[in-house]
Amino acid sequence: MHEQAFRFGSARHLVGVVGLPAVIDHGVGVLFLNAGMVYRIGPFRLHVELARRLNGLGYPTLRFDMSTIGDSGASGQRLSRPEQVVADVRDAMELLQQQSGCTRFVLFGLCSGAQNAHSAAHADSRVVGALFLDGYGHRTLGQRVRHYLPRLLSVSSWRHRFSRHATVNAAGAPHPAEPMFVVEPLPPKVVRGQLGEMLQRGLKLDFIYSGGVARYFNHIRQFRECFGRLADHPNMSASHFKETDHTYVLSGDRQRLLDHVEQWMQRHFPVTRPGM
Amino acid sequence: MKARIEAELPFYFGPGRELFGFYHPAAAVKGSAVLLCPPFGVEQVRCHRLYRQLAHGLAESGFPVLRFDYFGTGDSAGESRQFEWTRCLADVITAASELRARHGGGRVLAFGARLGANAALAAAQSARLDGVVAWDAITDGAALVRQYERMQESLKVDLNRFEYPRPTLDVSSQWPGFERSDALRSQLIQLRLLDPGVASAWLYSSTPDEPSAPDEHRAGRQVRVEVEPRWDDVDSLELAILSHPLLDAAKRHLKEMA
Repeated sequence: MHEQAFRFGSARHLVGVVGLPAVIDHGVGVLFLNAGMVYRIGPFRLHVELARRLNGLGYPTLRFDMSTIGDSGASGQRLSRPEQVVADVRDAMELLQQQSGCTRFVLFGLCSGAQNAHSAAHADSRVVGALFLDGYGHRTLGQRVRHYLPRLLSVSSWRHRFSRHATVNAAGAPHPAEPMFVVEPLPPKVVRGQLGEMLQRGLKLDFIYSGGVARYFNHIRQFRECFGRLADHPNMSASHFKETDHTYVLSGDRQRLLDHVEQWMQRHFPVTRPGM
Repeated sequence: MKARIEAELPFYFGPGRELFGFYHPAAAVKGSAVLLCPPFGVEQVRCHRLYRQLAHGLAESGFPVLRFDYFGTGDSAGESRQFEWTRCLADVITAASELRARHGGGRVLAFGARLGANAALAAAQSARLDGVVAWDAITDGAALVRQYERMQESLKVDLNRFEYPRPTLDVSSQWPGFERSDALRSQLIQLRLLDPGVASAWLYSSTPDEPSAPDEHRAGRQVRVEVEPRWDDVDSLELAILSHPLLDAAKRHLKEMA
């Protein structure tokens, strides 16, 4: 395994680290997109650990900062944020192609990184696969029933509700979310349409939902409720890691995720010779 | 601004090119350069933006700057559990040499937050640093270990983070977000804050936690800064620390030492 740092992009405004296997015997590289505002190493170094695991299997990787995030600057171009995301991913693909020779790419994105991976995968035909972590999905009737019914029937939940003024910040008790900036997601109908187009192009798509987003996704059955017949497509897969949190803060949870990604990559983009 | 950012250089350096660095050249060099020593673990991720802003500010003021990651952290080689104190101090020495080589000699000052401050102070003589500005340096290593372990235990039953509490899960070999070795735990328990033998300034947050409680031996040299990093708060693990008062104080003290 060999890692090299680069400044790259149309305005040399992007910063990233390319990881190369000892033997490159594969035409597919993996790009890691920022998870929210966390810089390119990923939450608790998730991207570093996963990139090195994939390098060991023979896949070239690039973990990088999108425009204005982490160590990357602004492009100076007059692009909307969604347009800039697609332009940045194109710059990243070109760098990884120059360094490794790969011409097809898989995108890995968590949270807003999943939304950005969706947009880039839809926009560029060189993308042949994507892993969306806590990406698109929307609340359904089933989700609401599963979320609210246990709380309605729970004595402790009612007790907590009546005494919340006294216990709102007690250890272990949930508290209201703090205000934050969020990117407006695409409407579900648009998401379904774009996913359909990606599947028609032959993309392999994997959705992984954590227990940290139970507010909008809380059962694997919900995947079909969200995406209908697309969920049955052979190139579409979904998992629900209900025990984990949104950013995989515990090492065991991260290892489980790494194992999952490794297996998915080897199933859909098998390498003939390992990288190390 | 754009040209200066383009000139900033990410690279790998040191024996085996195992360390990741980010060099910020200065347009008009004043004779001193600054090494930024990062904190450890989740604190390093939380401080990344702050360190970048500080590097930009210093470079604009004429100080070339090197940011870097210790072995086993950030973009550097090594697994997280391989981070340990002796190697950390060796990395400070390697990074100071790298900065001196790129800067063309001259004085090298350092800034560090939390364990990054301790690393800069402990390695000051060996790394031939000419001054250190410390922010919330760890004055009680055992208290830091207790804090990390308390946070780790509370994490697994945190209903703001997990849908289901996991009280029986063994997470004793981890500190928030990262695996750690037994050797590192022992090293940090024994960690003491020593006089670096060079010029030093001591910044501390307006609400310091137990591990970084101000030390009475340095009472005359300590400066309180209006910043609340909430080092011990499990709800802040993913929150970046941004503070103009801290940036201003760090730059002011580094300029005074230059």
